[in-house]
Amino acid sequence: MHPYVRYLLGRLATYAGVVFFAILINFIIPRMIPGDPIKMILGKLLLQGTKVGGEELVEAYKRMFGLEGDIWTQFVCYLRELLRGNLGYSIANFPATVMELIHMALPWTIGLLSVTVVLAWIIGSILGALAGWKGAESKVWGYVAPFALVFSIIPYYMFAVILVFLLAYLIPIFPMSGAYSIGMIPSLSWSFIVDVIRHSILPALSILITSLGWWFLSMRSLIIMIKGEDYILMAEAKGLKEKTILWSYAFRNAMLPQTTGLTLALGNIVGGALLTEIVFAYPGMGWLLYNAITSLDYPVIQGVVLIIILAVCTATFIIDMIYPFIDPRIRYGAE
Amino acid sequence: MGLSSMRKESLPIERSRLGAFTRRAKAVLKEVFSNNKLKVGFIMLVVIALMGVVGRRMLPYDPLAAGIFMIDQPPNPKHILGTDSLGRDIFAQLLLGIENSLTIGFIVAIIGTVVGSTIGFVAGYYGGIVDAVLRSITDIFLVIPMLPLLILISSFVRVVDIWMMAMILSIFAWAWPARQIRAQVLSLKERDFVYMAKLSGMGSMEIIFIELMPHMFQWMGANFFNSVVWAILTEAGVEFLGLGPQNTMTLGMILYWAMYHAAVFRGMWWWWVPPIIMIVLIAVSLYLIHIGLDEIVNPRLRRL
Repeated sequence: MHPYVRYLLGRLATYAGVVFFAILINFIIPRMIPGDPIKMILGKLLLQGTKVGGEELVEAYKRMFGLEGDIWTQFVCYLRELLRGNLGYSIANFPATVMELIHMALPWTIGLLSVTVVLAWIIGSILGALAGWKGAESKVWGYVAPFALVFSIIPYYMFAVILVFLLAYLIPIFPMSGAYSIGMIPSLSWSFIVDVIRHSILPALSILITSLGWWFLSMRSLIIMIKGEDYILMAEAKGLKEKTILWSYAFRNAMLPQTTGLTLALGNIVGGALLTEIVFAYPGMGWLLYNAITSLDYPVIQGVVLIIILAVCTATFIIDMIYPFIDPRIRYGAE
Repeated sequence: MGLSSMRKESLPIERSRLGAFTRRAKAVLKEVFSNNKLKVGFIMLVVIALMGVVGRRMLPYDPLAAGIFMIDQPPNPKHILGTDSLGRDIFAQLLLGIENSLTIGFIVAIIGTVVGSTIGFVAGYYGGIVDAVLRSITDIFLVIPMLPLLILISSFVRVVDIWMMAMILSIFAWAWPARQIRAQVLSLKERDFVYMAKLSGMGSMEIIFIELMPHMFQWMGANFFNSVVWAILTEAGVEFLGLGPQNTMTLGMILYWAMYHAAVFRGMWWWWVPPIIMIVLIAVSLYLIHIGLDEIVNPRLRRL
């Protein structure tokens, strides 16, 4: 087997394990807690005063949970419904299915996250490389490091709270919440796009600045380690330009662990970004999740969690697919 | 000095264990106190922990009883961090929160380190199929987005006290230590002293606990503080959604209540600023301890 294929199959097996584990937890947890989930939902419906569609919902729910039969039949039932893309009905917004709600929320999260994560990773790596390389000589980079440390530690959503207070409450430059102004109709018009960008700046900044610190610090320490390697000395002895040594020798080698770091950190980044959305009432997956939690909308909580895990796995797998092109050892199968 | 001399002293030839042990402990302690990051981090942590554990018992206010004081008071001499919208003293909440958050962090880290190290030792030492299985499971836990799953679990299992919170977090706390320890064991188990031990007839468990473990204590220590940071920050994230312990106060729950009552948009900075600063200070102190220990274990990092 070609080493690239073998490598990809190995990664695929891990992600299949992750997704299976997530589905398993999704299946087991509601069954482990005491009480009948359907009674719980009925009670919830009565609380809201919903009468219309109640029967239909319970029927759909029974089918969804497959509450008849032993645990194995139930599990098969559950998997079958999942494969059909059926995540059940939302309780809080009844006629809407969970899938419909996710369909509305997901683009906002993906849009916000993909831009900020990639930007932070690239900018952080480049700045970190410069800081690590020039570190000993220049004073400026020495002062940056402690700030980067604090920024890398503070969770996104806490930084988001600080940003909202400073730039939306004290000095109202940016809107406090939402993804676009109330009354605007989503369209591809110029004014709508500008409005969306203006609303996304604060959430994006809070994710960008805090994750930038992390990538900055890890790249900086990698470069400092690499600076002591023999091949750098060799390159210097050959009389290569400093720029060439930094970017084609040190930086390129440091990108390997940095990329591995990205695949490992992606799950945490997404988790943190979900909380950031709550601070801004940004209508993505995090906000949907938060509303589902406050209204005890269990099917939505389950669906959102499952889709997030699927999305993270897909993203990580894409990075894994690209990785061998940075690291020739995997491409050619050397250990 | 340091590591290399310590390694020599722990060779199995030296059987007068107690003498060797005290000498090594002294060497470690000396190294620990010569590291500045470790010192600063340790002092910060002790001061904060004392604030929580001792300070909260000296303050006469009940942090949980609502409606005792006037609501929404800004900081004043009687309430140095003001009161919240339910008329509770925020400084009292903060002190209780410190104690509870630290408690959760340390419980999770202890469970995570013990379980993770055991798995790491077993996987690394036995190798083969045991390693393959354990490693795949560890990989799954490393890649999986933990926060969404934690949210799912704690939304179904109503978290009532800090112990339950700690148990739920522990499900995910072992994977990182397991991976780190496994890598270390792999590099250690080919050393001569392990062969010596095998030749002298020691069993696997004896070798793991008597020969390998002492070399790993500092590694485990560095990892331990990393786990505490992780636990406290993750805990705050889950609590930020209101899924934290219902019957008490943690730093994350203070922040949740502040957001719930829209403190940010009402200019009540004294409600949400203290928990954020405290979480960052705790995280920084633990992180400094972590880097400090890491530097002792891995002297190459010292040039950073």
